Amino acid sequence: MKLRSPIITLLTGAVLAIGLWIASLNAATSATTAYGKPATPTPTTAPTVPAATASPSPAVTPSPSSAAASPTPSETGSGGFVIPDHANYVGPVQAGGGAIAITLHDKIAIAYYCNGKTIEEWMKGVPAHGHLVLTGKNGAHAEVNYALGHARGQVHVDGFSYTFSVIAVHKPSGLYQSIAVVRGATVKAGWIVLADGTEVGSIELDPNAAAPKAQAAPQLDTTSLTADDGGVTLHATPIDGETGSGF
Amino acid sequence: MAAQFGTPDPQATRRDPIYQPPDNIAKILVIPALVGCVVALTIGLYGKLHHATGIAVNIAGFSSPGSVKAWLATVAAVLALVQIGSALVMYGKVPRVSAPSWIGGLHKWSGRIAFIATVPVAVHCVYALGFASYSTRVLIHSILGCLFFGAFTVKMLVLPKRGVPGWVLPVLGAVVFAALILIWFTSAYWFFSTFGIKR
Repeated sequence: MKLRSPIITLLTGAVLAIGLWIASLNAATSATTAYGKPATPTPTTAPTVPAATASPSPAVTPSPSSAAASPTPSETGSGGFVIPDHANYVGPVQAGGGAIAITLHDKIAIAYYCNGKTIEEWMKGVPAHGHLVLTGKNGAHAEVNYALGHARGQVHVDGFSYTFSVIAVHKPSGLYQSIAVVRGATVKAGWIVLADGTEVGSIELDPNAAAPKAQAAPQLDTTSLTADDGGVTLHATPIDGETGSGF
Repeated sequence: MAAQFGTPDPQATRRDPIYQPPDNIAKILVIPALVGCVVALTIGLYGKLHHATGIAVNIAGFSSPGSVKAWLATVAAVLALVQIGSALVMYGKVPRVSAPSWIGGLHKWSGRIAFIATVPVAVHCVYALGFASYSTRVLIHSILGCLFFGAFTVKMLVLPKRGVPGWVLPVLGAVVFAALILIWFTSAYWFFSTFGIKR
Protein backbone atom coordinates (compact mmCIF):
# COMPACT_ATOMS: atom_id res chain seq x y z
CA MET A 1 0.00 0.00 0.00
CA LYS A 2 1.43 3.35 -0.95
CA LEU A 3 1.67 6.04 1.68
CA ARG A 4 -0.96 8.75 1.56
CA SER A 5 0.19 12.35 1.71
CA PRO A 6 -1.34 13.07 5.17
CA ILE A 7 0.67 10.15 6.53
CA ILE A 8 3.79 11.62 4.93
CA THR A 9 2.99 14.96 6.60
CA LEU A 10 2.71 13.22 9.98
CA LEU A 11 5.89 11.25 9.48
CA THR A 12 7.79 14.37 8.40
CA GLY A 13 6.70 16.12 11.58
CA ALA A 14 7.62 13.10 13.69
CA VAL A 15 11.07 12.81 12.10
CA LEU A 16 11.66 16.55 12.58
CA ALA A 17 10.55 16.30 16.20
CA ILE A 18 12.84 13.34 16.89
CA GLY A 19 15.75 15.09 15.18
CA LEU A 20 15.28 18.23 17.26
CA TRP A 21 14.81 16.12 20.38
CA ILE A 22 18.15 14.38 19.81
CA ALA A 23 19.79 17.74 19.11
CA SER A 24 18.30 19.07 22.35
CA LEU A 25 19.64 16.07 24.25
CA ASN A 26 23.10 16.98 23.00
CA ALA A 27 22.60 20.68 23.73
CA ALA A 28 21.57 20.01 27.30
CA THR A 29 24.21 17.36 27.99
CA SER A 30 27.07 19.86 28.14
CA ALA A 31 25.38 21.71 30.98
CA THR A 32 24.46 18.60 32.95
CA THR A 33 27.86 16.91 32.64
CA ALA A 34 29.57 20.07 33.77
CA TYR A 35 27.27 20.07 36.76
CA GLY A 36 27.87 16.37 37.48
CA LYS A 37 31.63 16.85 37.48
CA PRO A 38 32.05 20.21 39.12
CA ALA A 39 35.83 20.17 39.32
CA THR A 40 36.42 19.37 35.65
CA PRO A 41 35.59 22.02 33.14
CA THR A 42 34.34 20.49 29.90
CA PRO A 43 37.05 21.13 27.33
CA THR A 44 34.66 21.39 24.40
CA THR A 45 32.77 24.36 25.75
CA ALA A 46 35.70 26.16 27.31
CA PRO A 47 38.71 26.48 25.03
CA THR A 48 40.38 29.11 27.23
CA VAL A 49 40.45 27.20 30.50
CA PRO A 50 42.50 24.16 29.43
CA ALA A 51 44.89 26.48 27.63
CA ALA A 52 45.49 28.40 30.81
CA THR A 53 45.75 25.50 33.25
CA ALA A 54 47.18 22.58 31.30
CA SER A 55 50.53 22.61 29.51
CA PRO A 56 49.93 23.37 25.86
CA SER A 57 50.06 20.22 23.75
CA PRO A 58 50.76 20.29 20.01
CA ALA A 59 47.29 19.06 19.27
CA VAL A 60 45.69 22.05 20.93
CA THR A 61 46.04 25.32 19.05
CA PRO A 62 44.94 28.04 21.41
CA SER A 63 44.32 31.45 19.92
CA PRO A 64 46.95 34.07 20.89
CA SER A 65 44.49 36.04 23.00
CA SER A 66 43.38 33.07 25.09
CA ALA A 67 46.96 31.88 25.58
CA ALA A 68 48.07 35.30 26.74
CA ALA A 69 45.19 35.86 29.09
CA SER A 70 45.79 33.63 32.08
CA PRO A 71 43.54 34.61 35.02
CA THR A 72 41.22 36.99 33.21
CA PRO A 73 38.07 37.92 35.10
CA SER A 74 35.90 36.78 32.24
CA GLU A 75 35.84 34.53 29.23
CA THR A 76 33.96 34.63 26.00
CA GLY A 77 31.26 32.00 25.72
CA SER A 78 30.38 30.06 22.60
CA GLY A 79 27.62 32.48 21.67
CA GLY A 80 29.98 35.47 21.74
CA PHE A 81 28.78 36.49 25.19
CA VAL A 82 31.25 37.52 27.84
CA ILE A 83 30.90 35.11 30.75
CA PRO A 84 31.80 36.72 34.07
CA ASP A 85 33.44 34.82 36.92
CA HIS A 86 32.00 37.14 39.55
CA ALA A 87 28.49 38.48 39.32
CA ASN A 88 25.26 39.18 41.18
CA TYR A 89 21.95 38.94 39.40
CA VAL A 90 18.63 39.80 40.99
CA GLY A 91 15.15 40.36 39.74
CA PRO A 92 11.54 39.29 39.94
CA VAL A 93 10.42 36.00 38.47
CA GLN A 94 7.56 35.99 36.03
CA ALA A 95 3.93 35.46 36.97
CA GLY A 96 4.32 37.45 40.20
CA GLY A 97 5.96 34.54 41.97
CA GLY A 98 8.56 36.42 43.97
CA ALA A 99 12.19 37.20 43.29
CA ILE A 100 15.44 35.39 42.67
CA ALA A 101 19.04 36.29 43.37
CA ILE A 102 21.91 34.45 41.71
CA THR A 103 25.43 35.19 42.83
CA LEU A 104 28.55 33.58 41.50
CA HIS A 105 32.10 33.78 42.63
CA ASP A 106 34.66 31.65 40.79
CA LYS A 107 33.56 28.03 41.16
CA ILE A 108 30.61 28.54 43.48
CA ALA A 109 27.18 29.87 42.75
CA ILE A 110 24.54 30.63 45.38
CA ALA A 111 20.96 31.38 44.50
CA TYR A 112 18.08 32.36 46.68
CA TYR A 113 14.44 32.26 45.68
CA CYS A 114 11.89 33.92 47.88
CA ASN A 115 8.35 35.21 47.58
CA GLY A 116 8.57 37.44 50.64
CA LYS A 117 6.21 35.14 52.47
CA THR A 118 6.16 31.44 53.14
CA ILE A 119 8.22 30.12 50.27
CA GLU A 120 11.96 30.50 50.03
CA GLU A 121 14.83 28.29 49.04
CA TRP A 122 18.60 28.47 49.10
CA MET A 123 20.34 26.70 46.24
CA LYS A 124 23.92 25.96 45.38
CA GLY A 125 25.59 25.11 42.12
CA VAL A 126 28.71 25.22 40.03
CA PRO A 127 29.07 27.77 37.24
CA ALA A 128 30.01 26.13 33.96
CA HIS A 129 30.80 28.70 31.30
CA GLY A 130 27.49 30.45 31.12
CA HIS A 131 25.39 27.53 32.32
CA LEU A 132 24.43 26.88 35.87
CA VAL A 133 22.34 24.25 37.61
CA LEU A 134 21.58 24.89 41.26
CA THR A 135 19.96 22.57 43.74
CA GLY A 136 18.44 23.06 47.15
CA LYS A 137 16.34 21.25 49.71
CA ASN A 138 13.09 19.44 48.87
CA GLY A 139 13.95 19.07 45.20
CA ALA A 140 14.25 22.80 44.62
CA HIS A 141 16.42 23.51 41.63
CA ALA A 142 17.14 26.14 39.05
CA GLU A 143 18.66 26.16 35.60
CA VAL A 144 20.31 29.38 34.58
CA ASN A 145 22.05 30.72 31.51
CA TYR A 146 24.10 33.79 32.37
CA ALA A 147 26.38 36.27 30.69
CA LEU A 148 27.78 39.70 31.43
CA GLY A 149 24.85 41.82 32.54
CA HIS A 150 22.01 39.35 32.58
CA ALA A 151 20.86 35.88 33.49
CA ARG A 152 17.79 33.93 32.54
CA GLY A 153 16.35 30.55 33.34
CA GLN A 154 13.82 28.69 35.40
CA VAL A 155 13.52 28.02 39.09
CA HIS A 156 11.47 25.13 40.46
CA VAL A 157 10.39 25.56 44.06
CA ASP A 158 7.63 23.91 46.05
CA GLY A 159 6.11 22.29 42.97
CA PHE A 160 6.03 25.48 40.93
CA SER A 161 8.22 26.60 38.07
CA TYR A 162 9.01 30.23 37.42
CA THR A 163 10.78 31.67 34.42
CA PHE A 164 13.01 34.66 34.99
CA SER A 165 15.14 37.08 33.07
CA VAL A 166 17.14 39.19 35.49
CA ILE A 167 19.93 41.72 35.40
CA ALA A 168 23.33 42.11 37.04
CA VAL A 169 23.35 44.50 39.98
CA HIS A 170 25.85 46.08 42.34
CA LYS A 171 25.56 46.93 46.02
CA PRO A 172 23.38 47.87 47.78
CA SER A 173 21.20 45.76 45.48
CA GLY A 174 21.91 42.06 45.80
CA LEU A 175 21.56 39.17 48.19
CA TYR A 176 21.85 39.27 51.98
CA GLN A 177 21.76 36.50 54.53
CA SER A 178 21.51 36.32 58.28
CA ILE A 179 21.98 33.24 60.42
CA ALA A 180 21.51 33.76 64.12
CA VAL A 181 20.33 32.10 67.29
CA VAL A 182 17.28 33.93 68.49
CA ARG A 183 15.48 32.86 71.68
CA GLY A 184 17.32 29.57 71.61
CA ALA A 185 16.39 28.70 68.05
CA THR A 186 18.40 29.11 64.91
CA VAL A 187 16.87 31.43 62.37
CA LYS A 188 18.05 31.88 58.83
CA ALA A 189 16.90 34.92 56.92
CA GLY A 190 17.46 35.99 53.34
CA TRP A 191 16.81 39.27 51.59
CA ILE A 192 16.86 40.08 47.93
CA VAL A 193 17.30 43.78 47.27
CA LEU A 194 16.15 44.53 43.75
CA ALA A 195 17.69 47.10 41.42
CA ASP A 196 15.06 49.69 42.39
CA GLY A 197 15.72 49.16 46.11
CA THR A 198 12.68 46.97 46.75
CA GLU A 199 13.35 44.27 49.32
CA VAL A 200 11.97 40.76 49.24
CA GLY A 201 12.87 38.74 52.30
CA SER A 202 11.87 35.60 54.14
CA ILE A 203 12.97 34.13 57.41
CA GLU A 204 13.21 30.44 58.32
CA LEU A 205 12.51 29.79 61.97
CA ASP A 206 13.97 26.30 61.94
CA PRO A 207 16.28 25.96 58.94
CA ASN A 208 17.46 22.47 59.92
CA ALA A 209 13.98 20.97 59.72
CA ALA A 210 13.19 18.81 56.73
CA ALA A 211 10.58 21.30 55.58
CA PRO A 212 11.50 24.63 57.13
CA LYS A 213 8.68 27.04 57.75
CA ALA A 214 9.23 30.55 56.46
CA GLN A 215 7.57 33.89 56.99
CA ALA A 216 8.15 37.45 55.86
CA ALA A 217 11.49 38.78 57.07
CA PRO A 218 11.78 42.06 58.95
CA GLN A 219 12.95 45.08 56.97
CA LEU A 220 16.71 45.04 56.32
CA ASP A 221 18.69 48.24 56.60
CA THR A 222 21.30 47.83 53.86
CA THR A 223 23.48 50.59 55.37
CA SER A 224 23.84 49.16 58.85
CA LEU A 225 23.18 45.56 57.65
CA THR A 226 20.75 44.98 60.48
CA ALA A 227 17.13 44.04 60.79
CA ASP A 228 14.94 44.27 63.83
CA ASP A 229 13.14 40.97 64.43
CA GLY A 230 10.74 41.72 67.26
CA GLY A 231 13.36 43.46 69.41
CA VAL A 232 16.22 41.15 68.42
CA THR A 233 18.74 42.62 66.03
CA LEU A 234 19.67 40.34 63.15
CA HIS A 235 23.03 41.01 61.54
CA ALA A 236 23.11 40.35 57.83
CA THR A 237 26.01 39.45 55.58
CA PRO A 238 26.00 40.39 51.94
CA ILE A 239 26.39 37.41 49.64
CA ASP A 240 28.32 39.25 47.02
CA GLY A 241 29.87 37.48 44.06
CA GLU A 242 31.90 40.55 43.19
CA THR A 243 33.77 40.76 46.51
CA GLY A 244 33.40 37.11 47.53
CA SER A 245 31.65 38.10 50.74
CA GLY A 246 29.54 35.26 52.11
CA PHE A 247 31.14 32.59 49.89
CA MET B 1 -9.38 16.51 -0.44
CA ALA B 2 -12.07 18.56 -2.14
CA ALA B 3 -12.62 15.70 -4.55
CA GLN B 4 -12.98 13.32 -1.66
CA PHE B 5 -16.03 15.21 -0.51
CA GLY B 6 -17.45 15.97 -3.92
CA THR B 7 -17.61 12.41 -5.16
CA PRO B 8 -19.18 9.64 -3.13
CA ASP B 9 -16.89 6.75 -2.42
CA PRO B 10 -17.76 3.99 -4.95
CA GLN B 11 -16.78 1.11 -2.66
CA ALA B 12 -18.81 2.37 0.25
CA THR B 13 -21.79 2.96 -1.99
CA ARG B 14 -21.61 -0.59 -3.31
CA ARG B 15 -21.51 -2.02 0.18
CA ASP B 16 -24.09 0.29 1.71
CA PRO B 17 -26.07 2.15 -0.86
CA ILE B 18 -28.14 4.18 1.55
CA TYR B 19 -27.39 3.47 5.14
CA GLN B 20 -23.98 3.60 6.79
CA PRO B 21 -24.33 1.68 10.06
CA PRO B 22 -22.80 3.44 13.07
CA ASP B 23 -20.47 0.57 13.96
CA ASN B 24 -18.86 0.98 10.56
CA ILE B 25 -18.16 4.63 11.27
CA ALA B 26 -16.78 3.62 14.64
CA LYS B 27 -14.48 1.11 12.94
CA ILE B 28 -13.14 3.81 10.66
CA LEU B 29 -12.55 6.30 13.45
CA VAL B 30 -11.44 4.17 16.37
CA ILE B 31 -7.85 3.53 15.29
CA PRO B 32 -7.08 7.17 14.36
CA ALA B 33 -8.71 8.33 17.60
CA LEU B 34 -6.67 5.89 19.68
CA VAL B 35 -3.43 6.86 17.92
CA GLY B 36 -4.28 10.52 18.52
CA CYS B 37 -4.83 9.82 22.21
CA VAL B 38 -1.50 8.02 22.40
CA VAL B 39 0.25 10.97 20.74
CA ALA B 40 -1.35 13.51 23.10
CA LEU B 41 -0.65 11.39 26.18
CA THR B 42 2.93 10.70 25.11
CA ILE B 43 3.65 14.40 24.72
CA GLY B 44 1.94 15.27 27.99
CA LEU B 45 3.51 12.49 30.04
CA TYR B 46 6.98 13.05 28.61
CA GLY B 47 6.61 16.76 29.31
CA LYS B 48 5.52 16.03 32.87
CA LEU B 49 7.94 13.23 33.75
CA HIS B 50 11.01 14.44 31.86
CA HIS B 51 13.17 16.71 33.98
CA ALA B 52 12.81 20.06 32.22
CA THR B 53 16.26 21.24 31.21
CA GLY B 54 15.63 24.88 30.39
CA ILE B 55 17.92 24.26 27.43
CA ALA B 56 17.17 23.02 23.94
CA VAL B 57 18.49 23.68 20.46
CA ASN B 58 18.13 27.28 19.40
CA ILE B 59 17.63 28.85 16.01
CA ALA B 60 20.12 31.49 14.94
CA GLY B 61 19.05 35.05 14.24
CA PHE B 62 16.65 35.55 17.12
CA SER B 63 17.25 37.14 20.49
CA SER B 64 15.98 34.20 22.52
CA PRO B 65 14.27 30.81 22.21
CA GLY B 66 11.12 32.57 23.35
CA SER B 67 11.08 34.95 20.41
CA VAL B 68 11.82 32.16 17.92
CA LYS B 69 8.89 30.23 19.28
CA ALA B 70 6.60 33.25 19.31
CA TRP B 71 7.33 33.99 15.66
CA LEU B 72 7.02 30.38 14.51
CA ALA B 73 3.74 30.11 16.40
CA THR B 74 2.56 33.32 14.75
CA VAL B 75 3.41 31.88 11.32
CA ALA B 76 1.39 28.79 12.20
CA ALA B 77 -1.53 30.87 13.50
CA VAL B 78 -1.67 32.99 10.35
CA LEU B 79 -1.55 29.85 8.21
CA ALA B 80 -4.32 28.41 10.38
CA LEU B 81 -6.49 31.34 9.32
CA VAL B 82 -5.65 30.44 5.71
CA GLN B 83 -6.70 26.90 6.59
CA ILE B 84 -10.11 27.98 7.86
CA GLY B 85 -10.64 30.32 4.90
CA SER B 86 -9.69 27.74 2.29
CA ALA B 87 -11.76 25.06 4.02
CA LEU B 88 -14.84 27.31 4.02
CA VAL B 89 -14.34 27.97 0.31
CA MET B 90 -13.89 24.26 -0.43
CA TYR B 91 -17.11 23.45 1.38
CA GLY B 92 -18.91 26.20 -0.51
CA LYS B 93 -19.65 28.12 2.68
CA VAL B 94 -18.49 31.46 1.34
CA PRO B 95 -21.30 33.17 -0.59
CA ARG B 96 -20.57 34.03 -4.22
CA VAL B 97 -17.13 32.33 -4.14
CA SER B 98 -16.74 29.12 -6.06
CA ALA B 99 -13.73 27.00 -5.15
CA PRO B 100 -10.87 27.61 -7.56
CA SER B 101 -8.83 24.62 -8.72
CA TRP B 102 -5.84 25.57 -6.59
CA ILE B 103 -7.76 25.84 -3.31
CA GLY B 104 -7.05 22.21 -2.37
CA GLY B 105 -3.32 22.75 -2.93
CA LEU B 106 -3.42 25.97 -0.89
CA HIS B 107 -5.20 24.13 1.95
CA LYS B 108 -2.78 21.22 1.93
CA TRP B 109 0.40 23.27 1.71
CA SER B 110 -0.60 25.96 4.22
CA GLY B 111 -1.48 23.12 6.59
CA ARG B 112 1.77 21.29 6.04
CA ILE B 113 3.86 24.43 6.55
CA ALA B 114 1.86 25.39 9.63
CA PHE B 115 2.33 21.92 11.13
CA ILE B 116 6.06 21.85 10.41
CA ALA B 117 6.38 25.34 11.96
CA THR B 118 4.80 24.12 15.20
CA VAL B 119 7.12 21.12 15.61
CA PRO B 120 10.30 22.95 16.71
CA VAL B 121 8.19 25.07 19.08
CA ALA B 122 6.62 22.00 20.61
CA VAL B 123 9.94 20.20 20.98
CA HIS B 124 11.35 23.20 22.84
CA CYS B 125 8.24 23.44 25.02
CA VAL B 126 8.20 19.77 25.91
CA TYR B 127 11.95 19.31 26.27
CA ALA B 128 13.06 22.55 27.88
CA LEU B 129 9.97 23.61 29.81
CA GLY B 130 7.79 20.53 30.25
CA PHE B 131 4.11 20.18 31.06
CA ALA B 132 3.60 22.89 33.65
CA SER B 133 0.69 24.22 35.66
CA TYR B 134 2.06 27.16 37.62
CA SER B 135 -0.48 29.57 36.17
CA THR B 136 -3.81 29.29 34.36
CA ARG B 137 -2.22 30.44 31.13
CA VAL B 138 0.50 27.83 31.34
CA LEU B 139 -1.88 25.04 32.30
CA ILE B 140 -4.26 25.82 29.43
CA HIS B 141 -1.29 26.06 27.08
CA SER B 142 0.12 22.71 28.21
CA ILE B 143 -3.19 20.89 27.86
CA LEU B 144 -4.00 22.41 24.47
CA GLY B 145 -0.49 21.70 23.20
CA CYS B 146 -1.03 17.99 23.80
CA LEU B 147 -4.56 18.18 22.39
CA PHE B 148 -3.37 19.96 19.24
CA PHE B 149 -0.92 17.25 18.19
CA GLY B 150 -3.35 14.49 19.14
CA ALA B 151 -6.18 16.08 17.14
CA PHE B 152 -3.89 16.81 14.21
CA THR B 153 -2.77 13.17 14.17
CA VAL B 154 -6.39 12.01 14.16
CA LYS B 155 -7.18 14.35 11.28
CA MET B 156 -4.22 13.17 9.21
CA LEU B 157 -5.10 9.53 9.83
CA VAL B 158 -8.79 10.04 9.00
CA LEU B 159 -8.12 12.05 5.80
CA PRO B 160 -7.20 9.13 3.50
CA LYS B 161 -9.98 6.88 4.82
CA ARG B 162 -13.03 6.12 2.72
CA GLY B 163 -16.61 6.30 3.94
CA VAL B 164 -15.95 8.93 6.58
CA PRO B 165 -19.13 10.82 7.53
CA GLY B 166 -19.17 14.39 6.29
CA TRP B 167 -19.08 16.00 9.72
CA VAL B 168 -15.87 14.32 10.89
CA LEU B 169 -13.25 16.37 9.03
CA PRO B 170 -14.86 19.77 9.73
CA VAL B 171 -15.09 18.89 13.42
CA LEU B 172 -11.49 17.68 13.58
CA GLY B 173 -10.34 20.71 11.61
CA ALA B 174 -12.21 23.01 13.97
CA VAL B 175 -10.67 21.35 17.03
CA VAL B 176 -7.16 21.64 15.55
CA PHE B 177 -7.78 25.27 14.57
CA ALA B 178 -9.29 26.29 17.91
CA ALA B 179 -6.50 24.57 19.84
CA LEU B 180 -3.80 26.26 17.77
CA ILE B 181 -5.34 29.72 18.12
CA LEU B 182 -5.73 29.31 21.89
CA ILE B 183 -2.17 28.01 22.10
CA TRP B 184 -1.05 31.11 20.23
CA PHE B 185 -2.97 33.40 22.60
CA THR B 186 -1.53 31.68 25.67
CA SER B 187 2.05 31.84 24.36
CA ALA B 188 3.02 34.12 21.49
CA TYR B 189 0.38 36.78 22.26
CA TRP B 190 1.41 36.66 25.90
CA PHE B 191 5.09 36.84 24.90
CA PHE B 192 4.64 39.81 22.59
CA SER B 193 2.43 41.70 25.04
CA THR B 194 4.84 41.02 27.93
CA PHE B 195 8.19 41.62 26.24
CA GLY B 196 7.15 43.66 23.20
CA ILE B 197 7.17 42.65 19.58
CA LYS B 198 10.79 41.84 18.95
CA ARG B 199 12.91 39.52 16.93
